[in-house]
Amino acid sequence: MAYFDVPEIDYTRYSNRQLAAVPLAVLAVALLVLSGSFLVYGTPVPLGMDFAGGSELTVQTTTPEGDIPAAFDEQPESVTGTSGDNQYIVRFSSTDAQALEDQATDGLESDGDAQIVQSVSSTSASFGQQSQRTAMIGLAVAFVGMSAIAFLLFRTFVPSIAIVLSAFSDLVIPLAFMRLAGIPLSLGTVAGLLMLIGYSVDSDILLNNHILRRSGDFYESTHRAMRTGVTMTVTSMAAMFVMGVAAYLLGIDLLASIGIILFVGLATDLLNTYMLNLSLLRWYKFEGIRS
Amino acid sequence: MNPIDAIKNNWRVLLLVLFVGFSTVALFIPGGIVADDSLADDSIDDSPTNLEFGLSLEGGTRMRAPVDGLTAEDIDTGAVSDDGQIDQDRLDEVDATIREELDLDPADSNINVQEDGTVTAEVFDGNVTEAEFAAALQAADVDATEDDIRPGVTQETRDSIIETLQSKINAAGLSGGTAYESSTLEGDHYIVVEVPNMGASELREILSDRGQVEVRAYYPDDSGNQTNQTNQTVLTGEDIANVDPPEQRQRGSGYVVPVQVSEDAAPGFQQQMNDLGFTGEGQGRCNLRGDGETISFDHENEQYCLLTVVDDEVVDAHSMGQSLATSMSSGSWESNPTFQMGAQNQQDAQSLSVNLRAGSLRAPLDMDNNQVYSIQPSHADQFKQYSLLIGLLSVLTVSGVVYSRYTDTRVALPMILTAVAEVAILLGFAALIRMPLDLSHVAGFIAVVGTGVDDLVIIADEVMDEGDVSSERVFQSRFRKAFWVIGAAAATTIIALSPLAVMSLGDLQGFAIITILGVLIGVLITRPAYGDILRRLLTDR
Repeated sequence: MAYFDVPEIDYTRYSNRQLAAVPLAVLAVALLVLSGSFLVYGTPVPLGMDFAGGSELTVQTTTPEGDIPAAFDEQPESVTGTSGDNQYIVRFSSTDAQALEDQATDGLESDGDAQIVQSVSSTSASFGQQSQRTAMIGLAVAFVGMSAIAFLLFRTFVPSIAIVLSAFSDLVIPLAFMRLAGIPLSLGTVAGLLMLIGYSVDSDILLNNHILRRSGDFYESTHRAMRTGVTMTVTSMAAMFVMGVAAYLLGIDLLASIGIILFVGLATDLLNTYMLNLSLLRWYKFEGIRS
Repeated sequence: MNPIDAIKNNWRVLLLVLFVGFSTVALFIPGGIVADDSLADDSIDDSPTNLEFGLSLEGGTRMRAPVDGLTAEDIDTGAVSDDGQIDQDRLDEVDATIREELDLDPADSNINVQEDGTVTAEVFDGNVTEAEFAAALQAADVDATEDDIRPGVTQETRDSIIETLQSKINAAGLSGGTAYESSTLEGDHYIVVEVPNMGASELREILSDRGQVEVRAYYPDDSGNQTNQTNQTVLTGEDIANVDPPEQRQRGSGYVVPVQVSEDAAPGFQQQMNDLGFTGEGQGRCNLRGDGETISFDHENEQYCLLTVVDDEVVDAHSMGQSLATSMSSGSWESNPTFQMGAQNQQDAQSLSVNLRAGSLRAPLDMDNNQVYSIQPSHADQFKQYSLLIGLLSVLTVSGVVYSRYTDTRVALPMILTAVAEVAILLGFAALIRMPLDLSHVAGFIAVVGTGVDDLVIIADEVMDEGDVSSERVFQSRFRKAFWVIGAAAATTIIALSPLAVMSLGDLQGFAIITILGVLIGVLITRPAYGDILRRLLTDR
């Protein structure tokens, strides 16, 4: 037998209301977090350098981490060590990359022959706003496109809206997680969110397909869909977790944020698919069709 | 089973093998499938594969910046008559008025008749406001209001800037650098310059210098007072026809850039030099000294200097040498119009030569609103190794989970191999079309492994549903059912990522393109093949 087997859940013990209540409550909390954050900070999620503007330097230096801020005229927003020897990522809200580069070269001790400034990136505020709008449009187009496909595939209202709703929740909950965990929105996290739209819909389509397009008992179909779907999601979660953690330790931001967002999003997806989507489908199958 | 049947029954697997084979050739055989001699050897040097790497994995700098300027389109100057006749004098008059009103240099304004007969005026100066530009147009009797003016410049100007930048990068002796334009959905345009193996400060220097070169004559005016001197531009960068690489000055310190003046400008320049006295009493009379960077204008005696001026900054001053003066005063110089422009240090000489060769930027770039990404080659190399490590770790994790789920090597092993084959085909494809791989592509590859395995799980579960597969027919029907879900899932992933693939949102384009390609390769090639493998393994028992 398998080491890892998908447990069979006795759904008959719970009413549709009970099942849907959990993911809907989480969604409500997430929306509350995002709107609260919007009221307090002006943005639902913290914006990273890509969207708010700012600079980031990767420096290699023997100067101790605590003394690094002293080298710069402007107090850095953060200094983080990476796995590389004596390598640190220093972030600033200033966008004068040239000045920062010069200050780093003057103020930090060089580590052997290595260049002090290993990498510079900076984005001006206007550029960031530009990217913000582009990212918003991208997310909206992706979401609408996904919804259109869902409706095209199933051509009935309840199952399609169930997919759309759970995909929406799959996006909102990780966003609220980002706010709570203080992960800024970057290009990498936007990519993760878009990827999430694609990934999370897979298990919903699978579930809907098994329940609506196959003959057989509702709970039997559900269990079979779950066995496949949970395997898929857990496999992806494992891959993303490893990628996220490894990339974080090695200091590759882009991969780390994609990995973490997808991991959280996929976990949310388990909840949404097998509680929210399932309860909607059960209602539709047993009561909705008759009316 | 005869060979033809064997091929018929296994064509999906054979197709997969064929694709993997092609990819291996594209990846590892030097030159690949399509030998491309246009690439110099140094770009394929010591790497064991034919893969090309982008900035984030190879090192280099990329800068994006908008162009500084304002444009008034379709303005009514009265210079173009209904039958298409163009009154050039009127255009010049408008241009001159704009410059006068706004106090601009000649290079900072431009007026042009477009192909459709409309007139477009541009100013290239970040300090001019839309209201000021409108007022200047009105002063030139052009009926224009603030609403007719938009920030930015014309396509023509951007094309010219890109061309100049491209030649500037090439003239700086760097291979593989490119300049191109990118636009946002809202119609804003940016100039993007990417140069491998160049630091941010160097590239910033090239981009922020507009590169307008002039030679000015600095000579005593008629007032009789010894220290009253006049400046006059006698040559501009456009008058220079040929430029040689900089060389060290034979006598004295500093560097020179030997140039040849164009045929059109040579006689005028010669005449001016003679008229202003440079070839006569002014010979060798220039005592202005520099400190290595700028020139000091403190002097007591009359000076006859030729100043090298770049972007309104005097970089060098020297006198007319004897042999040059002789050939100029005899009038023979214009048939062989060469001379040497001075620079105080090698860097200045180099950039002078680059500026002369590439010409000046038609409009400056707005470097305050730019975006920079720069990485040292050694650091990028580190990223390359880390990416490989992360990729391998992800594949291992996926394999572990899949194996622990099925505990059946017959199911799990082909699954993992198929997913890896998918990545191999993608890599081969990337090598074939010489797509430069960046970190975002690496994320795409890992995402492909993820979605790939997901779909294989669907196939495996569906096919093995309700006990073992007893017949070919049962297998086919189950496989088809599984494929419906896979197709639907693939469609959503492609739709979700397509906005990223077409929009220029930073580095994410590569991620989207690789993931979409991976999904397509998966649905069309690898997943059907996995079905076939599974059928063989399960029905042959």
